[in-house]
Amino acid sequence: MNYGPATRTGVASSDPDEALLARIAEGDAAAIRALVARKLSRVLGLAQRMLNDAGEAEDVAQEAFLRVWRQAPKWRSGEARFDTWLHRVALNLCYDRLRRRREILTDDPPELPDDAPPADHALEAQDTGRAVAAALAKLPDRQREAIVLCHYQELGNIEAAAVMGVTVEAVESLLSRGRRALRATLADLVER
Amino acid sequence: MTREQFQSLADAYGGEIARWPPDVRDQAGLLAATHPAFAQAVLTQASRLDVALDALPRATASRMLLDRIVASAPAAPRRRNWLSWLLPAGAGAALAGATAAGLVMGVQLSQASAVSAEASAQAVADLDVSGLAGEG
Repeated sequence: MNYGPATRTGVASSDPDEALLARIAEGDAAAIRALVARKLSRVLGLAQRMLNDAGEAEDVAQEAFLRVWRQAPKWRSGEARFDTWLHRVALNLCYDRLRRRREILTDDPPELPDDAPPADHALEAQDTGRAVAAALAKLPDRQREAIVLCHYQELGNIEAAAVMGVTVEAVESLLSRGRRALRATLADLVER
Repeated sequence: MTREQFQSLADAYGGEIARWPPDVRDQAGLLAATHPAFAQAVLTQASRLDVALDALPRATASRMLLDRIVASAPAAPRRRNWLSWLLPAGAGAALAGATAAGLVMGVQLSQASAVSAEASAQAVADLDVSGLAGEG
């Protein structure tokens, strides 16, 4: 897997997750539970916002942790921050599912995601969260990814660029375009 | 920093300068102090979208999911003793049994017939000298 700009000197020594990984490699039950407690919400949040489906997000979280267990004994300090790696793994799993959805949708056009309730309906129902979820779901994948990483996961632009395998400038561009599209979709909500 | 750059940063990172990249925050603060009306208008507009985005509920993991994921982790590997590093499992057990039985026969010939080779093998196997052997 190519991390592109993810590899930064001096990162590994300050990676707060590496000590847990070393213990997990030894089968330390407390470390396993501690890592799950530390990371599960982040992985779940990432997947839920990328997929807009709670059940699929849980499946992604479970699969991501299976990969963590496999990776722990092989983890090499200094190649990438664990959190960055975990985001990349979870995103890849999300993209697998998004691709599968598109394949199914190609065979079954009536179920296009654009058929989700339009923002104004959701606003009428006072369901702002649902309106935002629908607006996010309509974004191109990479724009949604940039917004999820930077706004919701609170990654810095350098780390988001590392996860996405692009430059910081590209992340900024994706963020700008994504937010512009969201402002347009959520105009009733944002402008009031 | 120019007004255009300030606007671009707000367009990308939202209405809170504290969430902008660290290397531009000071300059952005300076511009906001120099052109407060402009900065306020830009940040207010960007913040409206931030507030809307924050209306999306946080994902919460159920206890059941957490337990399921913890249970999916591999159990701790069984500790291996020094003998198992030297010999395949079957041969190791047989040799351990024979060695232990021989020692006992030499010391207590009268009880030699009563010594269980299996129990002796277990006793040898239970010797914890794993610190002498590196984990592979």
